[in-house]
Amino acid sequence: MSDHSHEITPPAVETYDIKRAGNAPKILLWVGIAGIVLSVIGLCYQPWHVQAAYSWLFAAFYFFSLCVGGLFWTCLHHATDSEWSVTVRRQMENIAKVTPVSLLFFLPLLLFCANDLWKWWNLHPGEDPLLDGKSGYLNHTFFWVRWIVYFVLLGWISYSLWKRSTDQDKDGAARHTLIMRKLGVGGIPAMGLCITFSAADYLMGLDYHWFSTMWGVYLFAGAAGSGMALTVLIVNWLKNQGYLKVVNDEHFHTMGKFLLAFTIFWAYIGFDQYMLIWYANIPEETAYFRLRNTETWWYFSQALVVCRFFLPFPVLLFQFIKKNTIILWVSWWILAMQILDMYVIVLPALHREGFHPSLFDLFSFVGIGGILGWVFLTKVIGKSYLYPTRDPRLLLSLKLSN
Amino acid sequence: MAEYRKVYGLGAEFESAAALMHAAEKIRDAGFSKWDVHTPFPIHGMDKAMGLGKSWLSAPVFIGGTTGLLTAVCLEMIPSFSLYKLIVHGKPYDWRTIPAFFPIMFELTVLFSAFTTVFSLMVMNQLPKWYHPVFNWERFARVTDDGFFLVIEARDPKFSETKTRALLEEIGGQHVTLIHD
Repeated sequence: MSDHSHEITPPAVETYDIKRAGNAPKILLWVGIAGIVLSVIGLCYQPWHVQAAYSWLFAAFYFFSLCVGGLFWTCLHHATDSEWSVTVRRQMENIAKVTPVSLLFFLPLLLFCANDLWKWWNLHPGEDPLLDGKSGYLNHTFFWVRWIVYFVLLGWISYSLWKRSTDQDKDGAARHTLIMRKLGVGGIPAMGLCITFSAADYLMGLDYHWFSTMWGVYLFAGAAGSGMALTVLIVNWLKNQGYLKVVNDEHFHTMGKFLLAFTIFWAYIGFDQYMLIWYANIPEETAYFRLRNTETWWYFSQALVVCRFFLPFPVLLFQFIKKNTIILWVSWWILAMQILDMYVIVLPALHREGFHPSLFDLFSFVGIGGILGWVFLTKVIGKSYLYPTRDPRLLLSLKLSN
Repeated sequence: MAEYRKVYGLGAEFESAAALMHAAEKIRDAGFSKWDVHTPFPIHGMDKAMGLGKSWLSAPVFIGGTTGLLTAVCLEMIPSFSLYKLIVHGKPYDWRTIPAFFPIMFELTVLFSAFTTVFSLMVMNQLPKWYHPVFNWERFARVTDDGFFLVIEARDPKFSETKTRALLEEIGGQHVTLIHD
């Protein structure tokens, strides 16, 4: 309660010293550049072009989903006026701040690969009556407009939340909290719409005949869960270097609860989508699962169900695991399963005959991941204090108990 | 008082939640086991101040949830797979039709764990309870308004009318009163 808050004094401010990261930024940058260059060679060389485009889409959407996850948790913190997450919020804001950069990686696809990825791109009116019905949405102009909307809207929300939060570090004014609350309340639906429509545009659009109303929320569930897993890992990485002493077991416990919640939510939404389509058994709806549940893709779909839900679920149920280093392994695991999820969504659309690994999957993954990691380390994390130093609820967050 | 009445314990009043929290820490460190605090609202961190440890509620809930899951599995699979096989919607009637069963499994897991939670809580809190000796203490009525109380029971092995009274007064307890059964 507030009447004994005088016992805890706010700890000293801390800023990330890039020297502590050692060679990591340099390695990330060079690995990133190498991956991007190799992927671009693939995109330019005609026989490899289509494979490189699909691999690029898989990697780009993976990292985009992580960033949107960070944005969701930042907005949720403000919308619900949370106390617990103040000490870890800056890292969520930092992840969210990378969102517009991650959206830039969709530009090469929109510019050079649209007709290979999204088959409707080249079809003219009258060629396919099913497409004609959707032409109000699926047309070149509106497709571009939507990308601009995602870029501007997500970029503006994530930047404003970060800016307000860091401004509060300087002047400590309460009005920033009030404005961030409004941004958070508006940001959740904005973020939800952006991930829904981007999932429909870039992933569901791989087969323009297919549709699922659960698609957006399915992608959101995966994004929010893996965004939290990434936050856990970044916070722990900072703690290992001697920063963020303000974060204790109780914060990890709460983050672990959210990992559990979004493991269940992902399974709930994923199963709902599957069961309704399976039960109704309408050919135009079952096409998606028919492709992914046959040939070698069957093993991938089964592995996703088991490894994304049935393995982490019982582990995360236990309290002591959330306060233990096991939570870090679970977080790595969830991030890896998000990779598998994106892979099973994107690549079967190209390799209908079964799993067909390609080096471009790796190139574009390390390329985009390396560049975004480098941006995070050199352009984001060192630009502000590592936690909101003058947030009015900081003391309450320090005293968190579950 | 003419008739003999058994001593229930010693009660003390504290002026704030913070004072009660410090008092609880001291009573915990003094090694008492049969005692409790009473407040108008929940106080964060009081479980640690009292040294309560982790609640064992999760164990019955886990068992309840598992029972619910198994109930659903038996309830659905025994009739559909062997007793009364029906072809519904052209789906097979073996394990491959399991997606149709998941919602029931989920619901019964939730239902059974919810019931187990409620009833375990009632058992753990010894509810329903029609009588409690602390209500013999007039000041205690303020517990639903602005009173913060700490009561040490007489059945505690460390309890002593004089020494415990002195301890309660020393740690800041006001209106230390002997409560009769």
